[in-house]
Amino acid sequence: MAKDAIEKETIAQSLKNAGYSRRDFLQLCTTIVATAPMGLALTEKATPAEVAKSVAKAKKPSVVWLHFQDCTGCSESLLRTSKPDIADLILNIISLDYHETLMAACGQQAEDALNSAITENAGKFVLVVEGSIPTKDQGIYMKLGGKPALDVLKEVGSKAAAIIAIGSCASWGGVPSADPNPTGATGVDSIITDKPIVNIPGCPPNPYSLLGVVLEYAVMGKLPALDDLKRPKFAFDRLIHDHCPRRAHFDAGRFAGQFGDAGHREGYCLFKLGCKGPVTHAGCSTRHFNEVVDAWPIGIGAPCFGCTEKSVGFRIPAFDRVDVHTATPPDTYAPISGAVGKFGAVAAGLVGLAAGAIGGSTWAASQRLASSEETIAEEAKSTVGGK
Amino acid sequence: MTRWERSVPVYGVPVLTRGFWALLALIVVGLVLTAIREVVGIGGVMSGMSDPFAWGLWKTFNVMVLTGLGSGGFAVGIAAWVFNNKKLHPVMRVALLTSCLAYWTGLCMLGVDVGRPWNFYWVVMPWTWNLHSPLLEIAVCMSLYASVPLFLENLPPLFEYIIYEYPQWRGIAEFCEKAMAKVFPFIVALAYILPIMHQSSLGALMILGGNRVHTLWQTPFLPLIYVWAAAFLGYNCVVLCVLLAKLAWKRDVDPVVMLELNKLTVWIVYSWTGFRFLDILVRGKILHAFTDGYYSLLFWTETALILGSAYVLSTEKGKKLSTMFLAHALCALGGMIYRFSPTTLAFHAKDGATYFPSAVELIISLSFVSIAVLGYLVAVKKLAILPGTNAEWLKMAEYEEQVKPGIQLTGYAPVEH
Amino acid sequence: MAMTRREAFKNLAKGSLPILAAGCVSTALPEVAHAEEEKQAPKGALGLLYDATKCVGCKSCMVKCSEANDLKPDTRTDGIHQAPPALNYFTKNIIKLYRTADGSDHSYFKQQCMHCIDPGCMNACMFGGLRKDEETGVVWWLGSKCVGCRYCEIACPFHIPAFQWDGFNPKIVKCELCREPIAKGLRTQPGCTEVCPTQAVIYGKREDLLKEAKSRIAANPGRYYQQKVYGEHDGGGTQVLYLSRVGFDKIGLPELSEESIPSGLKYSHAVYKWLALPIALYAGMVAFAGKNFKAHSHHLVEDQKKTGLRPQL
Repeated sequence: MAKDAIEKETIAQSLKNAGYSRRDFLQLCTTIVATAPMGLALTEKATPAEVAKSVAKAKKPSVVWLHFQDCTGCSESLLRTSKPDIADLILNIISLDYHETLMAACGQQAEDALNSAITENAGKFVLVVEGSIPTKDQGIYMKLGGKPALDVLKEVGSKAAAIIAIGSCASWGGVPSADPNPTGATGVDSIITDKPIVNIPGCPPNPYSLLGVVLEYAVMGKLPALDDLKRPKFAFDRLIHDHCPRRAHFDAGRFAGQFGDAGHREGYCLFKLGCKGPVTHAGCSTRHFNEVVDAWPIGIGAPCFGCTEKSVGFRIPAFDRVDVHTATPPDTYAPISGAVGKFGAVAAGLVGLAAGAIGGSTWAASQRLASSEETIAEEAKSTVGGK
Repeated sequence: MTRWERSVPVYGVPVLTRGFWALLALIVVGLVLTAIREVVGIGGVMSGMSDPFAWGLWKTFNVMVLTGLGSGGFAVGIAAWVFNNKKLHPVMRVALLTSCLAYWTGLCMLGVDVGRPWNFYWVVMPWTWNLHSPLLEIAVCMSLYASVPLFLENLPPLFEYIIYEYPQWRGIAEFCEKAMAKVFPFIVALAYILPIMHQSSLGALMILGGNRVHTLWQTPFLPLIYVWAAAFLGYNCVVLCVLLAKLAWKRDVDPVVMLELNKLTVWIVYSWTGFRFLDILVRGKILHAFTDGYYSLLFWTETALILGSAYVLSTEKGKKLSTMFLAHALCALGGMIYRFSPTTLAFHAKDGATYFPSAVELIISLSFVSIAVLGYLVAVKKLAILPGTNAEWLKMAEYEEQVKPGIQLTGYAPVEH
Repeated sequence: MAMTRREAFKNLAKGSLPILAAGCVSTALPEVAHAEEEKQAPKGALGLLYDATKCVGCKSCMVKCSEANDLKPDTRTDGIHQAPPALNYFTKNIIKLYRTADGSDHSYFKQQCMHCIDPGCMNACMFGGLRKDEETGVVWWLGSKCVGCRYCEIACPFHIPAFQWDGFNPKIVKCELCREPIAKGLRTQPGCTEVCPTQAVIYGKREDLLKEAKSRIAANPGRYYQQKVYGEHDGGGTQVLYLSRVGFDKIGLPELSEESIPSGLKYSHAVYKWLALPIALYAGMVAFAGKNFKAHSHHLVEDQKKTGLRPQL
């Protein structure tokens, strides 16, 4: 990415220069509206045409993208979009001033690019962080140009207007933070506390989540509504379980018992295989990946492992079942009159014993009394006519 | 021929027998289980109760059935004091003791059975009472009865015990005795009206069960039939206690009193059965006694046990002690089944719902019964409860004076009133 | 010994008092028994109308009820689903299914408290733990007065109050038409009526709901069982009304007369009116017992003189 002109282009100008048709742009805006119908001021009560109008007028925001302990999956996820070719579109809607994977520069050139980007756009650029930051032993476990990632983040972050932590690694530590977390890997918001931060967890997250946040910032000048874990509500306010296409199977009690068994092949619910859907907030069940329908874990028959949630992903073993916190009725009904009451064997035995004991002893007593019956009968006879 | 003249304690028999320890063990187990039940709740393992059968064994058996059995206090008492049947005076103390024990253990059982016993304090605040509720009437009346008149009626043997055994307290005991004698009619009349009220309210309880109580039992006159059943149950209990005393401790039996008790039992049972059938006939439900399978069988079982036994008692055979014993036992069984039926045996709570007590429920129930039995055994050995003759008293006095030198059980000159 | 005039008058008074009282009571008895008039619903009585022909068995009302009343869903059957087998202390509202053995006919049934006009449960409760709101007629439970005796469960012909069988300080749980959330301003109608997608269950004033029910019957002849609104008079009338295509007994509503459950106690109440009869009986028994005891005491003194044994009271 070559250095941009001092005066930033509007997004409309940039797209035009890149040769993108209005049609493609409208398609993009439609996708955004579909992705984020609620929670984004940009798309709230707006038609794609209206969104296109406001986006077109916005200036391209400057974005600096740092990689730390990452696998680059989040960037790759961004690139795996094709209708329209979102990678190009993103590169023309934002001014991506530093991205180690995508930029042509390397070595000293790259470092210069970073320095000039953060200096020229100081206080105005958006910092996107991909990958977790090691904190143990003064952060020596990941270095960028000889400097520990911890210091790089603090330096660059101090000049950013806002920080987007993309992916679970940047949001809360991700894979590197799995037990025993030898490098002390942690998310951005544990290190930087004085800047607005948006976490977009996921491994990888849906690229439209990032786009929604960035556009909201570029067009409306502010970040979208966030939940208490700083995740944008429009993408993370629902559980996988509540929007899962296999939910009907769950409610009807149809489960896959083992990988490859009949239930699994029928596409039944994967809860018993350890699906973490009931405890995972994410939008994967409605917004799949790679723009291919059902290209997401549950869609291809793999249970969700809760990659967005710090307490779930890389923490709870893959095939362990979780609790369903918001239980709902299944596809069965209570009968008008069900059977109630149990008949215990021990109790029955006790009753039998007691009855036998009392009955037996009563009979025995009466027999013992029989021995004295002569006397009383005689005595009674003598008194019957008397008093 | 034996003629009972006074009450004589069982003497020469140790209190701490094997039976005593066995009962005590059962009581301890029961109390431990009760403590667990207070923490863990009433359902689950603790009892077989469920929402359709919300009343299991404790309220229905320990309270409704056993206080019926313990109605000797008022049933025999009314005959003895209101209708002046002098023959029944010697058995009054047995009747009163059985009543006292049945009621006190029943009330304790009630405290165990309810879920929030600490809220019972509202019972002493009349402005909070729901006067429409039969259960309230029972709660107030039974508590009052057990704590005042029944308790007072059972004090005289205790006073005597103190007078004989603890000379330092003799003065107070004699004073109390005299005070009681002064207000005697007021106490005993209260001890008769209150049980009439709550024994009938026990019947009224199941009126609210509506048509879930089978029609052979459900009637607006349930209260009357219940209190009338309590009457004959009380007589059954007294007779059984006296005959068991003869068996266990070789006490002599007074045939005149026994025949009188039988006569009254028969009379009460005949009138009870008559009224019950009349009620069923007038309500037009007599056919159900033949067409309702299990319920019909239950009805006739009750009737056979109760009426059959009374009939036997009225014949010559009924004068033999062995037959008398069996007859009263079976009559009591029938009466207890009758009082148990509307709550459980003849109570069709809901389709598909059944009830059987759990083992824990049974043990707790039995342990509370054991408290009563144990109390009875200790009381008759320590206090003058069981009926006897003056000759027996003299023998007892001789024995006791050997064992406890200095005690004076004979030779009292009358004190002017 | 001849009786003195004073004694004669005393005896006469003692003897006649109970007879007099008994006489008064027995003449008043029939009047008193009938004096307990049939109770009417309060003017602002609120209730529900459930039309079983509209219910699709979605059970959203069950989910919403748990949510609105802060109740944990009952997942005891399989640990995963909210599947209570009946009303219980987790479940104030339940959808049940009636189905014929061959599956040819079925109907759903929403079961919750009927909010009777003259409730058996309220009549049964010793210290007023169950009370009926004077304006809305909603029957609700007050824990501070509840002893946990479960008499309300015995008295309810619809099998509604559910007792908390496990744990300490048990509650009685039943639908209260979301009385508390409405009072707190958290909602304006019960949760179940709010979420019902087909408006099978609706909320409103009883008189309005009754009118609505009757108009539906009139507009759809032959659709509703016996052209009847269950709860109009059943059990003395209830504030929750039902319309159904299949028989009411089939869906679990008991066949009741027009008399309320508590009316079965009317004779008992008559007997206890003003406590007149008990007091009269008491007075009579005091008189007789007193007389007999006096005679008995004389005998005791005589016996003691003969035997030297202390008399037993």
